[in-house]
Amino acid sequence: MAVRERAVDTVSPCLVLVPIIKGALTVGLPPAWVEVSEEIAANVQRVRTEMAELAKAHAKALMPSFGDGKEDQHLIESLSQEIASLIKRSEKKLQRLSAAGPSEDSNVRKNVQRSLATDLQNLSMELRKKQSTYLKRLRQQKEGQDGDDLEMNLNGSRSKIEDDNMDNMVFNEHQMAKLKKSEAFTAERERVIQQVMESVNELVQIMKDLSVLVIDQGTIVDRIDYNIQNVATTVEEGLKQLQKAERTRKHGGMVTCATVLIIMCFIMLVALILKEIFL
Amino acid sequence: MVLVSAVRDYINRMLQDISGMKVLILDSQTVSIVSVAYSQSELLQKEVFLVELVDSISKSKESMSHLKAIFFLRPTSENIHHLRRQLASPRFGEYHLFFSNMLKDTQIHILADSDEHEVVQQVQEFYADFVASDPFHFSLNVPSNHLYMLPAVVDPSNLQNFCDRVVDGIAAIFLALKRRPFIRYQRTSDIAKRIAQETTKLMYQQESGLFDFRRTDISPLLLIIDRRDDPVTPLLNQWTYQAMVHELIGIQDNKVDLRSIGKIPKDQQEVVLSSEQDAFFKANMYENFGDIGLNIKRLVDEFQQIAKSNQKIQTIEDMAKFVDNYPEYKKMHGNVSKHVTLVTEMSKIVEEHKLMLVSQTEQDLACNGGQVAAFEAVTNLLNNESISDIDCLRLVMLYALRYEKESPVQLMQLFNKLASRSPKYKPGLVQFLLKQAGVDKRTGDLYGNRDLLNIARNMARGLKGVENVYTQHQPLLFQTMESITKGRLRDVDYPYIGNHFQQGRLQEVVIFIVGGTTYEESRSVALQNASNSGIRFILGGSVVLNSKRFLKDLEEAQRIARSSPAVV
Repeated sequence: MAVRERAVDTVSPCLVLVPIIKGALTVGLPPAWVEVSEEIAANVQRVRTEMAELAKAHAKALMPSFGDGKEDQHLIESLSQEIASLIKRSEKKLQRLSAAGPSEDSNVRKNVQRSLATDLQNLSMELRKKQSTYLKRLRQQKEGQDGDDLEMNLNGSRSKIEDDNMDNMVFNEHQMAKLKKSEAFTAERERVIQQVMESVNELVQIMKDLSVLVIDQGTIVDRIDYNIQNVATTVEEGLKQLQKAERTRKHGGMVTCATVLIIMCFIMLVALILKEIFL
Repeated sequence: MVLVSAVRDYINRMLQDISGMKVLILDSQTVSIVSVAYSQSELLQKEVFLVELVDSISKSKESMSHLKAIFFLRPTSENIHHLRRQLASPRFGEYHLFFSNMLKDTQIHILADSDEHEVVQQVQEFYADFVASDPFHFSLNVPSNHLYMLPAVVDPSNLQNFCDRVVDGIAAIFLALKRRPFIRYQRTSDIAKRIAQETTKLMYQQESGLFDFRRTDISPLLLIIDRRDDPVTPLLNQWTYQAMVHELIGIQDNKVDLRSIGKIPKDQQEVVLSSEQDAFFKANMYENFGDIGLNIKRLVDEFQQIAKSNQKIQTIEDMAKFVDNYPEYKKMHGNVSKHVTLVTEMSKIVEEHKLMLVSQTEQDLACNGGQVAAFEAVTNLLNNESISDIDCLRLVMLYALRYEKESPVQLMQLFNKLASRSPKYKPGLVQFLLKQAGVDKRTGDLYGNRDLLNIARNMARGLKGVENVYTQHQPLLFQTMESITKGRLRDVDYPYIGNHFQQGRLQEVVIFIVGGTTYEESRSVALQNASNSGIRFILGGSVVLNSKRFLKDLEEAQRIARSSPAVV
């Protein structure tokens, strides 16, 4: 596609240099809320990098290894918790960006809020997906292993009975071991389920809060011209409200009332003092 | 695709090299251009946190120097004036100016002079000067569209503005496509000739450097025709989804405003119908009403299945899965509600105005022969109280366009009946239409009764019978496209401008209809493109018409013509 730059030839050469220097100065200091939004954006970046680390940790834990994998589990848990808490904190900070009163600045704030909310929502969904696929694969692996173990044990113990009656005690021991193992397994599952429930709860809360802010793509709210109309009407309304507030403030009945009361108080006080003096 | 992606590429280029928080400032025309191609969420991703109109930013005085301003405006004198005021007391940190068409040198000087604070970083021309509503269909949203019907002497300055806007829009299309076309126009239309001449002058003389692209590619054809050559298509009732929504409710820049129709729930009052974003719409926009009903029912059933399975949350896994799929579910819910609402409202309108009855006669008037039967049918409908006045007017117009010469007495009878029915629609309007688009003024063979080939074709079609009585009409554009594909577009009817002729086989054709296009014609173009004939057609017009809009243009033109002494 064709474009054409229109050079502003009438500007004399020395003046051309000035914009380069001045340009840096004219971008003024941003308002205070921009700091908050930058913090949240930095958090989002951190979450992204940690998400990548988590993916690597997941992959490593799923690979068959010789150790008991407790270290990997620990790493995964700590990473997941950190990411979840980062998202929660960012979401709370996001609420601070909401502005009162319609103005151009508040529209900018609202849009910054929406953009960050979309990022946070996408990240929290990504976290959920990663966690659920990891859990699924883990479950498959574990059950596969345990199933084989149990099978082997059963067969092994049957053959032992047929061989030796005196091996009752051994048989019992095997049974106990099996029981203990399945108990531990159930306890583990309980814990995992508890974790999942907690994270789902948190996620539901976050999603509820965010869904108010996030734009549904493809709907009328996602249209630029619709948003401009709303900006125009809200700015005008805001102007009218501000003017109304100005007027009521000036003709504030409250102010005159208060002044009158104070004057009355002084008069009464003076009357009281005079009464004391002359009596 | 190509039109929308051209506009998107321009916008991407505007935003890509500027970092930090930005504000995008548009004018009332460029708002439409940008809104059909780019979404608000995409702007937010590019850190554009405020979008405003150029006439409203001067109302507020608060300084936002932490924002960089990107202006995308049409190069009109009004916009230059707004910019002067802005540059005199700048509110934003940096100013990047993009114009949708060519700037005059005087305008550039004015801008340079008013940039006292040196805040302008760049001034560029990005030629996205058209509203790309569909993949192969664009519109220019020209404000006073009715001017094309009037001779130049009536209002020369406004007509010049109209022509300038059209020429700018056409030039922008070819600059975006990076091609320079050879131009043909409809001989019988003065305005088509004028636009063709001005476009040629612009592309081959005034700005020949800008348009000088590689000559190895085959030049496309630009064909400029007049709406009045086919006045039948905008008057007909439509039964394919997109065309029907525009005819009964109205689509503007791919948005449908349902607020005036009836009691609509708040979140469905304004909806978006865009083939880019809505897969169901893309699959169904050219289907007829009956098939749409079936497809919507299927969509609703699918959705209900999902909704039911969402309610059966028994295990934790179900709960987790529900939370994961919630955004998808919400989107589908919104989409299904939108289409159901549209189809319901349209069914109501069809029922209320007895449109199926009216449309049958309309299609007969447009396609089949038989003057006597036609006269009877129209008279019956005029006597029917439940037919609305505007539909009666349309029927009489369609009859008059076809049987203009055949039986003047009966035509007069119809006029009288129309006048007695509704004082608002005077028969004068029908006669004005005949003066504008009567059989003497038309080039194309609108009813297929001029040359033997067409007559034979009509007879064959009559014998074979039609699949669907309500959609049997083919716009004249279809024949024109066929002629172009076969290389049989007559030089006598559509002469060339200048000395630039076709060389080699055509690959790309842009057809511009002065006075406006219709969605029926855009459908015809889309279906033609899908048939892989080797030529890609693009259709554009000054506006997108429906019957109400076309009648309004006629009324406006008639009113001006009556009050002007220059018109006979």
